[in-house]
Amino acid sequence: MVELRKVSFRYGSEDAQSNTENSLTDIDLTVQSGEFVLLTGPSGCGKTTVLRLINGLIPHFYPGTVEGDVFIDGESANKRELYETALSVGTVFQNPHSQFYNVDTTGELAFGCENRGLSEKEIYSRIDDTVCRFHIEKLMDRNIFRLSDGEKQKIACASVDVAGTDIILLDEPSANLDHEATLALRELIQCWRTQGKTIIAAEHRIAWLWELIDRVVILRNGRIVRELSGKEKNVLKQDELTALGLRSLHIEGPDDIDLPVITEADDPIILRDFYLRYSDADHPVVDIKTLRLASRRITAITGPNGAGKTSFLNCLCGLEKRCRGTIEYRGKRYDRKARQKLCFMVMQDAGNQLFTESVLEEVLISMPGNKSDDKKQAIRILRKLDLDSFRDRHPQSLSGGQKQRLAIACALASGREILLLDEPTSGLDHAHMMETAALLKQLEEMGTTILVITHDSELIRACCSRKLSFSVK
Amino acid sequence: METDNKLKGRDLINVGIYGAIYFVILMAIAMLGMIPIFLPLLSVLVPIIGGVPFMLFLTKVKKPGMIFIFAMIMGVMMLLTGMGPWPLMTCAIAGILAELCVKRGDYRSAKRAVLSYGLFSMWIFGNYLPLFTDYDGYFAQRADYGQAYVDAVSKLMPLWMAPVLLAACFICGILGGLLGRVLLKKHFEKAGLA
Amino acid sequence: MDYSSEQSQQKRRGFLDPRTKLAVTLVLAVFVMGGLGGDQLRYIKGVLSALPFLLLLTERQWRRFVRGAAMLAAGYGLLLAMPYLSGILNYLALFCGGILTRFAVTVVMGEYLIATTSVSEFISAMERLRVPQSLTIPMSVMFRLFPTIGAEWRSIRKAMLMRGIRLGGTKTGQMLEYQLVPMMTSTVRIGEELSASALTRGLGGSTRRTNICLIGLRIQDYVLLAGCLFTVIVWLLELCGMKLW
Repeated sequence: MVELRKVSFRYGSEDAQSNTENSLTDIDLTVQSGEFVLLTGPSGCGKTTVLRLINGLIPHFYPGTVEGDVFIDGESANKRELYETALSVGTVFQNPHSQFYNVDTTGELAFGCENRGLSEKEIYSRIDDTVCRFHIEKLMDRNIFRLSDGEKQKIACASVDVAGTDIILLDEPSANLDHEATLALRELIQCWRTQGKTIIAAEHRIAWLWELIDRVVILRNGRIVRELSGKEKNVLKQDELTALGLRSLHIEGPDDIDLPVITEADDPIILRDFYLRYSDADHPVVDIKTLRLASRRITAITGPNGAGKTSFLNCLCGLEKRCRGTIEYRGKRYDRKARQKLCFMVMQDAGNQLFTESVLEEVLISMPGNKSDDKKQAIRILRKLDLDSFRDRHPQSLSGGQKQRLAIACALASGREILLLDEPTSGLDHAHMMETAALLKQLEEMGTTILVITHDSELIRACCSRKLSFSVK
Repeated sequence: METDNKLKGRDLINVGIYGAIYFVILMAIAMLGMIPIFLPLLSVLVPIIGGVPFMLFLTKVKKPGMIFIFAMIMGVMMLLTGMGPWPLMTCAIAGILAELCVKRGDYRSAKRAVLSYGLFSMWIFGNYLPLFTDYDGYFAQRADYGQAYVDAVSKLMPLWMAPVLLAACFICGILGGLLGRVLLKKHFEKAGLA
Repeated sequence: MDYSSEQSQQKRRGFLDPRTKLAVTLVLAVFVMGGLGGDQLRYIKGVLSALPFLLLLTERQWRRFVRGAAMLAAGYGLLLAMPYLSGILNYLALFCGGILTRFAVTVVMGEYLIATTSVSEFISAMERLRVPQSLTIPMSVMFRLFPTIGAEWRSIRKAMLMRGIRLGGTKTGQMLEYQLVPMMTSTVRIGEELSASALTRGLGGSTRRTNICLIGLRIQDYVLLAGCLFTVIVWLLELCGMKLW
């Protein structure tokens, strides 16, 4: 059982005179043993903070001021060391790349049990049990760096399962996953349900969990604004959910949406001879003889993790030296080098493409040439992208969505005609996803060609008019 | 809670994170050391550029022991990459000095942090030690790099270079520390990392 | 399919114990790359240099073997070609050849060590050597992060290329800043998430850790450890001025 009594929390070290706002205010929450509770709400509502209070990362890892009490199975949690809490609480995190400590899958599954000093025999039998129930025989004894995101997330769940904690926390586990992987994740959670585990999930993509949960707790600005029991949640309407900042309840894969790759009326971009094979792979990851794409349209690029979508974009913007394709765009031919000046890619981790010390400076260095009205122009672009108020902020201090917008601002400033985006809406709540969609629409009207890799059916519905599907060869 | 001086899992992981960044930078620069004129320059470049991750590391250091462990790991890594046992010794000494220096500033003083990094950087001198303690032996070992390399290095590295290099490590360490402070203020504090 | 982690762990067990790998790496680092020891050790060094290549073969690491062998061949090729070259080319061939032949061996050994040792094996070996947790935890984090830093660095360079930020004359300092700042920011962020995840799974507790990986010294380990010891003894004898052959 997990109990939060009148809990308030503010990030920041205790001695610092921080006047930051409370991240959580007066949270009262009781989760009974065996219950499955969904915490939801728009980005920044405090749902992740609640999980951190339960698994002990607050206050041991993220310092701050806690008021009120957190009880786990009747014991006060604040005083306990992290490794003591680890005995009863396990957590699956959002980012599949950064939550494994080992490089091999088997070692990763054993990790939690090894830390608490269980006997080797016991660990072996627990791993075998988990592998059998989760059907992950194929993932065993593999290098984790070689797994797809969906597979990594399965290993993260399995690792929590082997540790055998009664309370399991899920912190946006589906944010980076494609449709199939999300459904696979749901099966694992179903498995925990039948075992009677206590599960608390923080998510704003709620469709895939909706049927499984006992209760929904909706947060906003660090307060609980609504609590719905199993029966109540079923009468909730979609527009109420949207008003609460939540994603759609409708489960839909990108493949269920029918869009053409290109139509007769479109002005085509013609791609020729795109071929790329990594030296350690048997099959080429990109292999395109000729392909026609629609210019000045928004094209969704879909397909499972590992189908070569990102590699394709890398080739298209001329960042992949080994790929020698050409494109024909508005009657001109562009080779690899020329495409570097034609295309701009917003990477999945946009933080790696921002270099300067302020948002404004970042846009300024993208401007071609040095003209006197550069600054005015830069501010105009920032205003258009709603980034004007962040002008002096450090780019690395922005949220993931804001970093992507800034990268788009740089693309605009550099005057590139083809914009490529890699998963721009993973982990965004409904409002931010719609903002991105609106922005892309706006760029389309200005005549930009946009290609966007996405698993997000709602984004496709909101803004894409063409679709290109990749499959695993 | 703050008075507990025992190193916890988080502190040790922090040593690993910044140690990894420092070591990667070190190795990238060491590749330059293949070219003779760059060999003495290592005592300039490593302390200066390494100051950036190290100053960020120091903002995480609140308990005794972390700097010493950081230094010892560098020593072990040098041993494994073929620099011999000397760096292990200089790492231990430099690590203790750097540790004492920040401890006296109660892990808060920015000036002491810079000074501490200067002291820490003196470990790099350990990589040159075999050159001076066993002058002929060093070149006998490297004869297969070619006579030209040996000539170039011995021209650049007469015995009086020893104190010069040690001083260079320290002074450039101070400069690197200052550079680290500048970037800390300019970037990492604003980005919310420090 | 009934999966047994114990059996697969046995099947996966490497040819050597991690401690032996460390000992061999050290001896190679000191004697072959560090160039310690004189004439007496010449033949031993030859044998030592072949060792990492043989080890790669025992673990069926063909690709790494071929790459290392190519490096070595290129090195010797340059040394062989050297007498026929003149002037600066002669110097370059000697220099590159010297470095390649010397480094290929250590690089191959390093690759072997990293490719065939899991984090769990590494920690387990260190514990048996009575190395304290305060060294094993940071070092295991480092080895875990190296590939990540490489990936981040590549991604940053790609982004710079795309944004048209190029190395140019006076801007070296700025280039450094542009590479270092995002690289450090993302490595530290990933590192923090990594430690959050590890800590919620009980890393750093006071109980003694167990390890499921199978390590232990077997006949091949004793043979190689004896070889390492032999090398050191020959070197010590040589230091005392004794001639063995």
